[in-house]
Amino acid sequence: MHRSRLTSCHMKRFLPFVLAAVAVAGCKGTETAATAGPADVGGTIVIATPSDAGTMLPPLITGITDREVTDLLYDRLAEIGPELNTLGDKGFTPRLAERWEWSADSLSITFHLNPHAKWHDGQPVRASDVRFSVNLIKDPALGSTALPLLSNIDSVSVRDSLTAVAYFKKRVPDQFYDLVYQIAILPEHVLGNTPAAQLKTAEIGRRGIGSGRFRLAKWEAGSRIELVADTLNYRGRPKLDRIVFSIAPDFNGAVTRFFAGDADIFENLRAEQLPRLATDSARHAIRLPSLGYNFMAMNQVDPKTPGRPHPIFSERAVRRALSMAVDRRAMLKNVFDTMATFGFGPFPHTVSVADTTLPQIPYDTAKAKALLDSAGWLAGPDGVRSKNGRRLEFSITTPSSSAGRHQYAVLLQDAFRRVGAVVTLDESDFPSYIAKLNSHSFDAEMESFQTDPSVSGFKQTWSTAGIGGEGQNHASYSNLSVDAYLDSATNAFDPARSKAYARRAFEALMDDAAGIWLYDTPTMAGIHKRIRTAGLRADAYFSGLADWWIPASQRSERDKVGLRPTP
Amino acid sequence: MSDDSEAGHSLASTTRSRLRGDRRVWIAGGVLGLIGLVSLAAPLLAPFDPNAQLDIAHFAGQAPSRMHLLGTDPYSRDVLSRMLYGGRVSLTIALASVAMAVSFGTLVGVIAGYFGGIVDAVLMRFVDAAYSVPSLLYLLVVAALWGDIGVLRLTVLIASVAWFTVSRLVRAKTLLVRDTEFVVAARALGVSDARILARHVLPNVIGPAIVSSTLTVGNVILLEAGLSYLGIGVRSPQASWGNIIQDGAERLSDLWWLTLFPGLAILMTVFACNALGDALRDALDPRQLVAGPNDDSPHLTA
Amino acid sequence: MRRYLAFRILQALGVVAFVTTLSFVVVHLAPGDPISTTLQGSNVTEQTRQHWRVEYGLDRPIPEQYLRWLRLTARGDLGFSFSQRRPVRDVLADAMPRTLALTGLALVLSFALGIIVGLLQAERVNSPRDRWLGRVLLLMYSVPDFWLALMMLLFFSYRLRLFPPGGLHDAVMYDYMSATGKVIDAIKHLVLPVLTLTLLYTASIARIQRAELVSLTHSDWMRTAVAKGLGWTSAVRRHALRNALLPTITLLGVNLPALAVGAIFVERVFSWPGMGFVTVGAVGARDYPLVMAGVVVTSILVVCGALVADVAVSIADPRIRIR
Repeated sequence: MHRSRLTSCHMKRFLPFVLAAVAVAGCKGTETAATAGPADVGGTIVIATPSDAGTMLPPLITGITDREVTDLLYDRLAEIGPELNTLGDKGFTPRLAERWEWSADSLSITFHLNPHAKWHDGQPVRASDVRFSVNLIKDPALGSTALPLLSNIDSVSVRDSLTAVAYFKKRVPDQFYDLVYQIAILPEHVLGNTPAAQLKTAEIGRRGIGSGRFRLAKWEAGSRIELVADTLNYRGRPKLDRIVFSIAPDFNGAVTRFFAGDADIFENLRAEQLPRLATDSARHAIRLPSLGYNFMAMNQVDPKTPGRPHPIFSERAVRRALSMAVDRRAMLKNVFDTMATFGFGPFPHTVSVADTTLPQIPYDTAKAKALLDSAGWLAGPDGVRSKNGRRLEFSITTPSSSAGRHQYAVLLQDAFRRVGAVVTLDESDFPSYIAKLNSHSFDAEMESFQTDPSVSGFKQTWSTAGIGGEGQNHASYSNLSVDAYLDSATNAFDPARSKAYARRAFEALMDDAAGIWLYDTPTMAGIHKRIRTAGLRADAYFSGLADWWIPASQRSERDKVGLRPTP
Repeated sequence: MSDDSEAGHSLASTTRSRLRGDRRVWIAGGVLGLIGLVSLAAPLLAPFDPNAQLDIAHFAGQAPSRMHLLGTDPYSRDVLSRMLYGGRVSLTIALASVAMAVSFGTLVGVIAGYFGGIVDAVLMRFVDAAYSVPSLLYLLVVAALWGDIGVLRLTVLIASVAWFTVSRLVRAKTLLVRDTEFVVAARALGVSDARILARHVLPNVIGPAIVSSTLTVGNVILLEAGLSYLGIGVRSPQASWGNIIQDGAERLSDLWWLTLFPGLAILMTVFACNALGDALRDALDPRQLVAGPNDDSPHLTA
Repeated sequence: MRRYLAFRILQALGVVAFVTTLSFVVVHLAPGDPISTTLQGSNVTEQTRQHWRVEYGLDRPIPEQYLRWLRLTARGDLGFSFSQRRPVRDVLADAMPRTLALTGLALVLSFALGIIVGLLQAERVNSPRDRWLGRVLLLMYSVPDFWLALMMLLFFSYRLRLFPPGGLHDAVMYDYMSATGKVIDAIKHLVLPVLTLTLLYTASIARIQRAELVSLTHSDWMRTAVAKGLGWTSAVRRHALRNALLPTITLLGVNLPALAVGAIFVERVFSWPGMGFVTVGAVGARDYPLVMAGVVVTSILVVCGALVADVAVSIADPRIRIR
């Protein structure tokens, strides 16, 4: 499956009638992107977002705003292509490295840096910065979430100020991708004097000095993050003057800003905004590709006595019965209407190894009840089932910051009540939610994953190796055949074979009801019509922002501010 | 029996006649009685199961209509039914926590006022200090850091910040009673403290305690609603007036009925409580007959 | 006077000590390790976490932590805000003036309004005017703060689009506006929160004011004034008003904690980044140092407000002193 700019146009057949026109309009904008002239430099794009960034250091990012901003501020050695190929270096385009060579045994790659590349403070980018960046992210004291993905990278040596050599432990299909996609190059002269353990809290982590085509002008906590064009950038000045992330306190505030014209882009449109957009002459909706998928994870380990199987969820029959109790289509309609897409399995439908034809567990309340009956979970006088004195009672942990997941949790609560289960909602603020996930102290939880384009991302979440430590297998799910299939998929150099193995892993996970697959992360954005987009990549629609532009004839007051220095 | 209790008698009867002549008492009392009755009869009146999601794909977020008089919430639950049941929860929490707060506050006030000295100083300094903490902030921190604390603990928590005003009022009244000739004489005769407290002090402080509890009910309803609105009071699927508003707050601009109607219910109940409280106070304290709130009752403990 | 002042200041200090202890105890008794929740991570090695524990003194016994925290707080070192990634002092230095501006403005306006309404009532006690104003005030007094704020937001911002839905100023353009533009923008953002708070405060102030005026009208010298031929209305205006103002201020000082609660909700609904907004946000993010500092500083503000009101009044009129 190819993921080019045109993907959003192919999408239209999934959309209801009203939306089709909207989607076409969005694509028109995209297609004319190539025709921007020299006069079309300038303008401001304001992105309304309900959450502030937490850091300006790429290895420490946790939220989507972190990711968007740091992606614009920092460059990698090379950039993944629009097709998101992760095997070898096919499709990758030069960034800080203007070229690279593989050694004969493929165990080292030599990167030649662009001699014109400079940090935003004017210092040149050196090979020692590459070594510093790799060493820093591999330092456990830093606490980067990317750390487990980098175990195959051995070290980086500096040959001269513009030449860095990366060494790998073994030859794997994704080794180039692992290095360049996961690691943004950081300035050693800025960060080098702060101990890694302190970078999470250090003020230096807020400065955002990188080498990207935008530089950080101002970060006003809780209010806005303003990026301006780096006019002397080695890759050329971006077409836009400024990008402002306008931080609203909540979803409502962000929507209001968008429709009031105070913001140009809002990423998480909901169903109820669609009719409003259809009649809006200045704004329209575009579908943004994304790699996120969401499901209810069921802990396999008893949170009260670690090491013992979970008294409810370790039973496959219960997991399958609960899956049958859930009307996933109706829930999708309730929460997102057409704004998100159906969750087929443990993968987003946008990823190349996705297979939406795998057999689903059907919605069937009667069958769910029968299955629970036959598994020995019998209804008591109050309608609640129990087995061996253990009531069918559990909690669903959700982060209070996510309206969509909260809404799903309330819907699930009622769906499970209908088959005789008592569910309490455990709403936690985001840090506590993450802490509960990492310490495996939950029954069920609303999981949301932003996967990597590579199959190796699925190992983090579903393989036995992903349990504990830095892995993301919060539910401690362990299935030897899934492990084996995922290993084979990761080690296959041939994309078709890789996909075939991944498919079998997914099939096993779905048959085992390892989770209740709900939806792929909402992908509709509202955008002002004057904006011409470019390069909407599925993993990061924002990666091409430096090439977005606004025709001179359609500029608003905001666009005409120009590049005056920020006060 | 004694001069004192006879004086009490005539005071009580004038109070009663004064109350009977006050229209506020009838109207506010009637409104509160009606709200109480409706809440009690919720199972009979509610057209739907308050927690049942009727049809999540088609009936979610419906504006008020003939079938759903007050609309439905984002989970296709009937708002009218949730408000009826939610009223039960909100009122139960309010009444229970006020009962606790008033009993405790009266106890503290009587002890401080009657025994005086160091006991009084310590207790009242504590009340002064606790009074200076914005109680919502304190409740917020406790409730948020402890996670889902359940209705019972929520009630106790609210009671823990609602007793200060009562204890101040009761103490002031106790001081007056303690210095009456009768009590002084009784002490001189060796009547035990317990007997004096039970026979002479308590009957006299009941009036102010009742007034202040009426006013406190209003404040406590506001407090519970505020906490539930912030998402840390009563939790899903159980409804309370505050958390119905919270269910709609994210989508205030299109689901306005989730904010408007429960808010009006809260407003009406609190208004009636406060009106009744004002009327009771005016009736109990002849000197304040024409005055509005006085020194004792700027009951802004919320 | 000096003795009274010393007494009041001592009392205020006692309250501050109580509040600091309370907030420390509450936060430290709460379940959950501040390090594992605030720094999001088991993807941090145990070694690093231990390093942080030592650095923030969390490995020490609670009483020692308390003393350490007191010492640092007294020195003005409020610690580091994990969620905002800057010193707590900086966060509060930004937030405090905003809260003071918002509440100060609302207090001034509601004082003016409350005194006028109280006066209108007291001039004709038990007249229809008095009763109707009394009912309206009681209604305003009974309204849930957050609900009033939400309704204002819904009506004036979402429906009529007259005012921005919240924030301190225009998030994007403010820095690029002319001086006049900035003033207009700031005013636009202030209107709704100030209006909401003013409505809430006016109810309290007018009720107190009326009660004070009415009790004064029963005093002998009012009767004397009327007997001397001064009209009732002008007697109320000339004599009673001045004398009722001071007790009203005193009572207002006493009630500051309750008024602060209104401000917390208003800040929250209109995303006004003041003390209440910051503290509630910090609770959500489990940012322990900021939560503690927010609670303590808000309480100190309240205590100081009450102290100032009290002392100012007792200077103006030595007869009125709260013991």
